[in-house]
Amino acid sequence: MDHLSVLENNSIFIIREAYYRFKNIAMLWSVGKDSTTLLWLCRKAFFGHIPFPIIHIDTSYKFPEMYQFRDERAQEWGLNLIVGRNEEKLKEGMGPTKGSKLECCGELKTNALKQVIKKYNLRAILLGIRRDEHGIRAKERYFSPRDAQFKWDYENQPAELWDQYKSTVYEEEHFRIHPLLHFTELDVWHYVQREGLPVVKLYFSKEGKRYRSIGCAPCCSPIESQAQTVDDIVEELKATKTSERAGRAQDKEDAYTMQKLRALGYM
Amino acid sequence: VRLFKQAGRQDKKALIIGIDGVPYTLIKEYLDKGYLPHLKGIVGHGHEIHQMNASIPDISSVSWTTFATGVNPAEHGIYGFTALRPHTYSLTFPNATDVQAPPFWNILGKVVEGMASSFAARYGNKVSKPLRSIILNIPHTYPAYPVNGILISGFVAIDLQQAIFPASIYDYLQGIGYRVDVDAQKAHHDKDAFLQDLFDCFAIRQEAVRHFFHQEPWDLFMACITETDRLQHFFIDAALDDGHPYHQAFERFYRELDAFMDTMVADFRERYGEDGFVMILSDHGFTTITQEVYVNTFLQEAGFLKLSTEGQFYERIGEGTRAFDMDPGRIYLNYKDRYPRGCVDKKEGDRLRKEITEALRSLKDPAGTSVIDRIFTREEIYRGPLADQAPDLVCLPKDGYDLKGKLNSDGVFGRTVFSGMHTWHDALCITPQGITWDEKPSIEDLADVIMRYFTDEQKTR
Repeated sequence: MDHLSVLENNSIFIIREAYYRFKNIAMLWSVGKDSTTLLWLCRKAFFGHIPFPIIHIDTSYKFPEMYQFRDERAQEWGLNLIVGRNEEKLKEGMGPTKGSKLECCGELKTNALKQVIKKYNLRAILLGIRRDEHGIRAKERYFSPRDAQFKWDYENQPAELWDQYKSTVYEEEHFRIHPLLHFTELDVWHYVQREGLPVVKLYFSKEGKRYRSIGCAPCCSPIESQAQTVDDIVEELKATKTSERAGRAQDKEDAYTMQKLRALGYM
Repeated sequence: VRLFKQAGRQDKKALIIGIDGVPYTLIKEYLDKGYLPHLKGIVGHGHEIHQMNASIPDISSVSWTTFATGVNPAEHGIYGFTALRPHTYSLTFPNATDVQAPPFWNILGKVVEGMASSFAARYGNKVSKPLRSIILNIPHTYPAYPVNGILISGFVAIDLQQAIFPASIYDYLQGIGYRVDVDAQKAHHDKDAFLQDLFDCFAIRQEAVRHFFHQEPWDLFMACITETDRLQHFFIDAALDDGHPYHQAFERFYRELDAFMDTMVADFRERYGEDGFVMILSDHGFTTITQEVYVNTFLQEAGFLKLSTEGQFYERIGEGTRAFDMDPGRIYLNYKDRYPRGCVDKKEGDRLRKEITEALRSLKDPAGTSVIDRIFTREEIYRGPLADQAPDLVCLPKDGYDLKGKLNSDGVFGRTVFSGMHTWHDALCITPQGITWDEKPSIEDLADVIMRYFTDEQKTR
């Protein structure tokens, strides 16, 4: 079997296993290329009819192209779409320029997700994270428990040997399930290429720039690139040496430092 | 020249304790009041306490880096917690990788590797065998870099895994719940919770200090307590006011600090007798705030700074700007060849600096008190290859006037949640008796004292 089919089979096995173990499950869809790939795999796993809801956490700051893409796909693929928004904080005007970026992420992403998990009493969520995204994600498991505070105790994780996954879930706990963990960024684009998967236009070069990673419009910056098709992107990634989230990670570190300095009266 | 080790002569050992932001005058007063019985014993027993100048500017990242490297900012390259990327207005946060001179512990450890400084040149070949150091919680040592021994970074440290060298100590630190810093944000809305956190953090810090002190071999042991600085940012007004609701908590913290220093020094003396070297120091002083002074708003009102509404922080600097301020009182001229929207010609520099100096000197608070104590030009205080990155002017305020580089305040003066500010002239050092300087010591002079102890060099300056 070719490399991409092996990856695909592994993912589909994990998706089906997760649905079998936890009936109360949902998939988190950021509308980015990774979770759209995951969504595609979920459709394949259940022959086109995904038996659980798809959650989109809407900070209200996403690119217009992302909302359009979300709504078109939801209709085309017949998704049971749940849009999670922290309405209370949005009403108060929360945003990346009000307070710190960290606070904004905390309220509009993390807390919005907490609210959805509570409202629908979810025991597990499927996410499209990959091991090669960040050093810390290399330690992730396919089935990864989180406590009520969303804390991940990565030093006390079950081993995952011979495709055996721990799935006993305590009250107040939920599981994060990562069917895409073994994909790399390049694998994802190869897969998008092979399957002819639609992705948001922002990934393709416009006036010499494209987004390599998308999220909220105010906090994403494009990279210099001439790649206008999936084939171009695959070629570009084969040659690149900078990390996918380089821009985003630095932003996060700076946001942390700024918060620390501000707490002491600087800035 | 001593060719052989003298019979019976012990190896040299040093213990250095940093107490971030502890003012000389407060310690003097607390010694008199009897709040610090143990420190009184230390000072009375073979040690002397000196008032000392901090670095300029008097903030921890600059002062501790100056202490560690024994050179001034124009050699080590750190002028503040913030800087602008070359030829842009884009804000960046320098860290240990930006320090351009080796710290004295790496000179002692013989792991200087490609770094040079006037200080390293003086002592580099005087260290006969590599010495092992344990360096715990010194600000501005993040991300942790290789040392001959152990290094645990201090503030600002983003990720504990990046804050330690070697990686093998991670499990221990994680196990005791080690934290690089207290959560100062708490003090903004819940003072009691913040205080509790402060005491907890101090307790964990002491546990880690004792662990490495007793479990590891070393020649130089240095630990810094940073909770003092955090305490004072929010509670310095409680220090000498018996009626203040937090006076008791403040005093209790100092008593715990006193007991901690006592155990450290006593354990050290018990092991190494009177030959060992003990130093205690702070990196700047502290005093109560009368007014916060927003220097950029002043520059704006005086016509030196034009801010647009586009962009973040210093990207807002607009056409026609002649000067701007970065925390605390670092003033940069908007030179044509230095910044994208620069408009100041090199030739105009001196005249403009005079103009700004005069304007700042006439700045008075609403009560009519003038705010600025001294203004230095970069040539007066910075000497070294990186002087071209230095601020063009640096202001030192009078005690009580906390200079801020904020870009979005409504007026020139204001008060916020903070009760304390740093001072330049009131840091302290406690050294073995008999160490003297021709003039008031500065934090830049201390590495020299430490290296003289280890190398038996005579005083050279």
